[in-house]
Amino acid sequence: MGTVHARSLEPLPANGPDFGALGEEAEFVEVEPEAKQEILENKDVVVQHVHFDGLGRTKDDIIICEIGDVFKAKNLIEVMRKSHEAREKLLRLGIFRQVDVLIDTCQGDDALPNGLDVTFEVTELRRLTGSYNTMVGNNEGSMVLGLKLPNLLGRAEKVTFQFSYGTKETSYGLSFFKPRPGNFERNFSVNLYKVTGQFPWSSLRETDRGVSAEYSFPIWKTSHTVKWEGVWRELGCLSRSASFAVRKESGHSLKSSLSHAMVIDSRNSSILPRRGALLKVNQELAGYTGGDVSFVKEDFELQLNKQLLFDSVFSASLWGGMLVPIGDKPSSIADRFYLGGPTSVRGFGMHSVGPQSEGDYLGGEAYWAGGLHLYTPLPFRPGQGGFGELFRTHFFLNAGNLCDLNYGEGPKAHIRKLAECIRWSYGAGIVLRLGNIARLELNYCVPMGVQKGDNPEHQHRHLPLLRARTWKCGAPFIPTLLSLHRKY
Amino acid sequence: MWGSIPQCQDHALSRRQTLNHRATQAPQLLILLVSNSFIPGICVLISLPRDFDPSLYLWVSQAFLQMCNLPIKVVCRANAEYMSPSGKVPFIHVGNQVVSELGPIVQFVKAKGHSLSDGLDEVQKAEMKAYMELVNNMLLTAELYLQWCDETTVGEITHARYGSPYPWPLNHILAYQKQWEVKRKMKAIGWGNKTLDQVLEDVDQCCQALSQRLGTQPYFFNKQPTELDALVFGHLYTILTTQLTNDELSEKVKNYSNLLAFCRRIEQHYFEDRGKGSSSIRSS
Repeated sequence: MGTVHARSLEPLPANGPDFGALGEEAEFVEVEPEAKQEILENKDVVVQHVHFDGLGRTKDDIIICEIGDVFKAKNLIEVMRKSHEAREKLLRLGIFRQVDVLIDTCQGDDALPNGLDVTFEVTELRRLTGSYNTMVGNNEGSMVLGLKLPNLLGRAEKVTFQFSYGTKETSYGLSFFKPRPGNFERNFSVNLYKVTGQFPWSSLRETDRGVSAEYSFPIWKTSHTVKWEGVWRELGCLSRSASFAVRKESGHSLKSSLSHAMVIDSRNSSILPRRGALLKVNQELAGYTGGDVSFVKEDFELQLNKQLLFDSVFSASLWGGMLVPIGDKPSSIADRFYLGGPTSVRGFGMHSVGPQSEGDYLGGEAYWAGGLHLYTPLPFRPGQGGFGELFRTHFFLNAGNLCDLNYGEGPKAHIRKLAECIRWSYGAGIVLRLGNIARLELNYCVPMGVQKGDNPEHQHRHLPLLRARTWKCGAPFIPTLLSLHRKY
Repeated sequence: MWGSIPQCQDHALSRRQTLNHRATQAPQLLILLVSNSFIPGICVLISLPRDFDPSLYLWVSQAFLQMCNLPIKVVCRANAEYMSPSGKVPFIHVGNQVVSELGPIVQFVKAKGHSLSDGLDEVQKAEMKAYMELVNNMLLTAELYLQWCDETTVGEITHARYGSPYPWPLNHILAYQKQWEVKRKMKAIGWGNKTLDQVLEDVDQCCQALSQRLGTQPYFFNKQPTELDALVFGHLYTILTTQLTNDELSEKVKNYSNLLAFCRRIEQHYFEDRGKGSSSIRSS
């Protein structure tokens, strides 16, 4: 909350040695202690002025839109609440480092007796901020340099540049973001990027150079994003021993696609939510705006969370997707879905479920996956109220299936195919929450329904049903500017 | 002259002319032979790009493998260059092995027990290697130069052909990228400052050397064809039958009648006779 100062006319002491000497002021001051309380109660007030201190390059119109509601407040409590909301909105714009709110009675000639002045004292962000990080993971170390230009032209436009220089690959991305003045949820952004990714489960290396433009807008409680993306993809083999099926996919292709995504998220947190639901539906149509890849892709994610007794949370989730190539060309390995790993079906190697050729996983054109989870606090609640709150015990049941479809066969055949040979697993473990970004899991997992060609973890131990897991990291939020990860 | 070609040549030339003129057409699928008695159960596949003229690389390796009496299946793919483990074409896919470039292919085939140069002694083998190097250094580089460094050819033929399998703007990007790469390579080997005339001179000298070595023999090493014959045939045949903006390169080769006869002979013997005799199909 910002600082709220409310000044009132101070009463002078009723008796004291100096009372007589203040003759002139004495008659001016007639208020009594009770009057102070009267002002602080729900007395009707009118906000007459809203002042801004500290604006530099920010333009006026964008500010006016955010604080418009403050003028509508009718009593002091509402003024405080609306000012607080306006402060949140101003901070959301991402152009101020700090926003303080001062509420004061109105002074001046046109001041009404119940008039209030609200002053926002803001500190703008610097024109250019930089960051430097090093990242280590996946057998690769990299240096990430970031540059941010917030509030470029005064209306909360933001330009971000990220450059990652790694031992294996180099990536960079440039992004321009512009919200609509007065309606931050409607925003527009353009991205330019080059990312490289290595996928050892498919012996594939992929380099994407692309440009995308997207527009987000809310409708009622949902958030929609419409995007056009043009990507020049270069696929290559990661090693000489890559299978021929993967080798055949090497080369260049151009994908130009239009996509629409809808998200409804009422969860209280994205990592270990306690309540709420999430629904994401995504459609993509490629090929009609250029490029040489043509398909229709559909995928969805549903998650429901419910809090139970004793601080435990029950969570159910379901994902699914389908890729339909248009025309004669078969689908490309870069567009297909993958299944397996700590974020989908635990107990199976990362993306190592489904059609494969000589040990390289090729992905599939249709999949579904689901999970039932029960999160409870640690037994005996060590560190309760502090560090222990970051941990949860976790019981889970995961299932899923991935396959290629022959689209000539009809929907009944497809459903039957997806319903046979289901891979599933169950187990328990501990989850550690890392800020609001990621979660770390340590699980003991039993994979079942393993099909020929799948890769359940640690097969070389020759204990086909018992698998002890090492650290695996489920990270639902990966900064998408610079990571190339398979979008399910 | 090559211009007044006899009947059996028309077929091959007209096919290539069609390929040349329709520079924007997508690469064609040429499937030649299907039988696989090379190693039981394994089919040999040669994948080639649409660069320059698909047949440059096609004819070299195909000639070699056919001279070894090995049945092959030929497939042209636009991304053959990227599929190849070394980035060069042609390459063969046998079972689950992939071998690229003529040198390693020859080694591979030799390891499987087929070789064309068994009958040669050490001196002759060394000589053969020397001539193969000459052809690679001279003729191959001259062809590359003509495709990518001669502005008229680049503008009219090469760019369109190289980018034809890809949609806009990828066709331009990849063509420029390749051109830049080739020019850089040319600079590295010292050909960066050569003019077209100098290149043609070098080709002439190379052809002269080959012609002298060939003399009146049917093949370079008398009666039996060797790798050198396959290589020379591939290059010369391509030069002779591909149409470019100027015909000077093929004119240089045509000056040597024994080389012409040599090419005719190999084409007749290994490509047409085989084509008639066995179950091959040539799509046009």
